[in-house]
Amino acid sequence: MTYAVGFGTGDLGEFNSQVSWRGFQIDMHKMLDLKMGLGGSFGWNVFYDEKDYDTYTDGTASLSGKQYRYTNALPLLASFNYYMNPGQKANFFVGLGTGVTYIRRNTDMNLYTIEQEAWAFTLEPEIGVEIQNNLNNAFTIAVKYFNGLAAGDFDKTQSYITLNVGWTFKS
Amino acid sequence: MFKLLTFSCLIALTSFLFSGCYPGGADFTEDYDVVYTNHSASYDFQGKSTYSMPDKIVVDVDIDKGDTIPVYMKQIYADPILQKIDDNMANLGWTKVDISTGPDVLLTPAGISSTTYYYDYWYCWWYGGWYGGWGWYYPPYVTVSSFTTGTLVMTIQDPNVDSPINSSVAVWVAGINGILSGAYNIGRITSGVDQAFSQSQYLKTN
Repeated sequence: MTYAVGFGTGDLGEFNSQVSWRGFQIDMHKMLDLKMGLGGSFGWNVFYDEKDYDTYTDGTASLSGKQYRYTNALPLLASFNYYMNPGQKANFFVGLGTGVTYIRRNTDMNLYTIEQEAWAFTLEPEIGVEIQNNLNNAFTIAVKYFNGLAAGDFDKTQSYITLNVGWTFKS
Repeated sequence: MFKLLTFSCLIALTSFLFSGCYPGGADFTEDYDVVYTNHSASYDFQGKSTYSMPDKIVVDVDIDKGDTIPVYMKQIYADPILQKIDDNMANLGWTKVDISTGPDVLLTPAGISSTTYYYDYWYCWWYGGWYGGWGWYYPPYVTVSSFTTGTLVMTIQDPNVDSPINSSVAVWVAGINGILSGAYNIGRITSGVDQAFSQSQYLKTN
């Protein structure tokens, strides 16, 4: 279980340029042997930007006001991890997840919101390290890249990077 | 046990992060203020120079025995708005003239307010026991909350364009909308008027 700080990239990064300080991920793996783990993960990141008063123009129409931008990203993935240093204090690993991400984008102005949403097919490569505390748990740091393909109301890929810090519990 | 406790703490922390700290949006009523403008792309504003405007702002219409009677905004509120419109039109090169002299365009402001109510019904249920059946206390508890929005609409029409329905089509429209507060801060409206003309530089004739 990790706390996840999110950084929007591509289209998501243009919409939400601020860092997402609200996020978590839960990963569960069954070890096939000492080096390979198969399982799944679930997470949630909220991206939020409060834009300054500005004017937005479309054709002959212009609208001025403050805009509040939200993106909620909830990936639900199956994942595979490969551990390179089993039994050592620092156990580096690489992983790959695949599944879907529910993405909902809200653009709020005045009392109204424009809502876009999608269930996007997602690929998620990651690298990380487990610092073994004892046999039962380890301090974990990882970097994950979530790449949700264009789907639903989005005609562009929705992607973001998370920096994850947390604990791994072993049983 | 340690693992269960740790998981519980993490879930509690996560719940805190996503409920109490969920980003909240607007802080003040002014943050909801918006200004919308639109215009006819084919209309030649540069070829015009004079306008007329009423010295009152209509906010409602009463209908009495078939007659329509306009209701006007109090002049203490209307005057600074009308003055701000005149200032902006002058800055864009327009000359205000009396309607009897045949102006190129008419500029008509109007105010609209709308109140939205929310109702919540809370029923208390009971079970009849010996007498059987379920039921509700009557009447239900009702909670009401509401907000009122105000909109200043400005339109420009050309009365010299012939129309089969004897009605001029608006070639420019502006709407300044916000949540009304008890303070009646007229500065929010006059700022909106400035913004409406600022984002409509195609009105410039000079």
